[in-house]
Amino acid sequence: MAPERTSIRTVDLLGVFWRSFFIQASWSYDQLQSLGFAFAFIPVLRRLYPDREAFSARLASHMEYFNTQPYLASFVLGAAAKAEEEHASGRRTAVEVAELKKTLMAPLGALGDSFFWGSLKPFAAAVAVALLLSGNWWAPLLFLVLYNLVHVGLRLSLVFVGYETAGDAVALLSRYNFTRLARRYKVLSLFLIGCIVGTISLWDAEFRPPVPFSPPLLAAAGLALTLGMTAVLRLGASPAKLMLGLAAVCLALALGGVV
Amino acid sequence: MDAFADVHGMAQVLLAAFIAGMIGLDRTALGQFMISQPVVAGPLTGWLLGDLTAGLVIGGTLELIWVLDMPIGTFVPADATVAAVSATAIAALTGGPLPAQLPVIGFSLLLTVGMVPVTMFADHLMRQRNAQIPALALSPGGRPTETSATAWHLAGLIAFFLKSFTLCLVLVPAGLVLMSGFLALPGAVHRAMALFATCLPLLGAATVARKLSMKTLDRYLLAGFIVGAVSVQLIHLPPLATVVISVAGGMWGVRTRGA
Repeated sequence: MAPERTSIRTVDLLGVFWRSFFIQASWSYDQLQSLGFAFAFIPVLRRLYPDREAFSARLASHMEYFNTQPYLASFVLGAAAKAEEEHASGRRTAVEVAELKKTLMAPLGALGDSFFWGSLKPFAAAVAVALLLSGNWWAPLLFLVLYNLVHVGLRLSLVFVGYETAGDAVALLSRYNFTRLARRYKVLSLFLIGCIVGTISLWDAEFRPPVPFSPPLLAAAGLALTLGMTAVLRLGASPAKLMLGLAAVCLALALGGVV
Repeated sequence: MDAFADVHGMAQVLLAAFIAGMIGLDRTALGQFMISQPVVAGPLTGWLLGDLTAGLVIGGTLELIWVLDMPIGTFVPADATVAAVSATAIAALTGGPLPAQLPVIGFSLLLTVGMVPVTMFADHLMRQRNAQIPALALSPGGRPTETSATAWHLAGLIAFFLKSFTLCLVLVPAGLVLMSGFLALPGAVHRAMALFATCLPLLGAATVARKLSMKTLDRYLLAGFIVGAVSVQLIHLPPLATVVISVAGGMWGVRTRGA
């Protein structure tokens, strides 16, 4: 007799979405997100395996090594939910479910790191800092809104996209061109960084260098200092070392009576 | 040192550590809504400790410097959250007039350089210890139950909280001791720290430019600089309008240049 088919419901996927916010709660060097994945997957397993033994066996199998970008893990969770549903009804083996996760996690990790950490976050930060430097106290709130509209929206939709496409990465990329979006956010961030330096004469008093320069001269000096420090960073200096160097230069200028 | 003088002062240090613990959860373990980014964590801490201005200056300054220090794979970046919360707490609890003066803020920012290796070491230790959690989640029968997996996974949140809480509890009093020494130094050193604080946003700009572009003089950065400088110095636009024009200009740039 064929096993009884049980379907995953929307409420189960919403449960996975909620739990995905905790996916890194026990992050470690050895196991990374393994237990987090199993934890987030519990609503699916609960629906598919009412039998306690079967539930426990499948939970254990989902505790195997797993690591990807935490937001794009939503797509893998959705895809794994579809695969697990097929496994529960005998249409897919346990090995195939595990293989699907392994296949998706590395490329999605690279894609997510580049998009979220490497482009969306600096863009939102550049907007917020540009406004903050000119005295807008609400800039941190704007940062949270700009970032989380994309972050939470994608996290929610990706659980369902992963489930509907059964983990089809091509379908994911045709829906969301992360590479192109990342490039655009990076260009916008660079544009904003230039704007931040160009508007230095409008910075609030707490931020504006206490030097008696005219606005055009201050902007030019700001650009020269920024480019100089960029060049030093390009030579291999870390931001922390450059902070120390900058403090030493400021101290020398102050002791020399220049400021 | 005033912060240790009475029960209120010690309660303020404990409050700062609690803030670090709670906000620190967002950094890796819970949600990652970016409340833990310095541009949010600094102002939030400053507001709760009674010096929003110090939080805004410190958060806004540290944001660009650390925004592209990314948690890729098993790499654990410097804990900018603990640094922002601790530096803000040190500035707010120093005991001088509020809002804290620029030299105090500058010295608090300089102290974050020393905090970086300490926070990275603590993070490293905690994540090594977290490796035991998945094994603990297995019941005596060698398989996990829903309860054991959930309980042990969420126990990781306590470890992450305690790490940031303890770090702040150590770093803030240590910073206040160093601050009392700084306050006794001659005026030239104070002027140096004021200049240092106001130059740091440019270091942040340089750090982002270094990470986002292969060129020291990036064309988009230069275009943003020209737009910013012309907007404020020739057209006299307000800062918000300048930022909007910069974003629009950047978008026009990526469309016409095919980014």
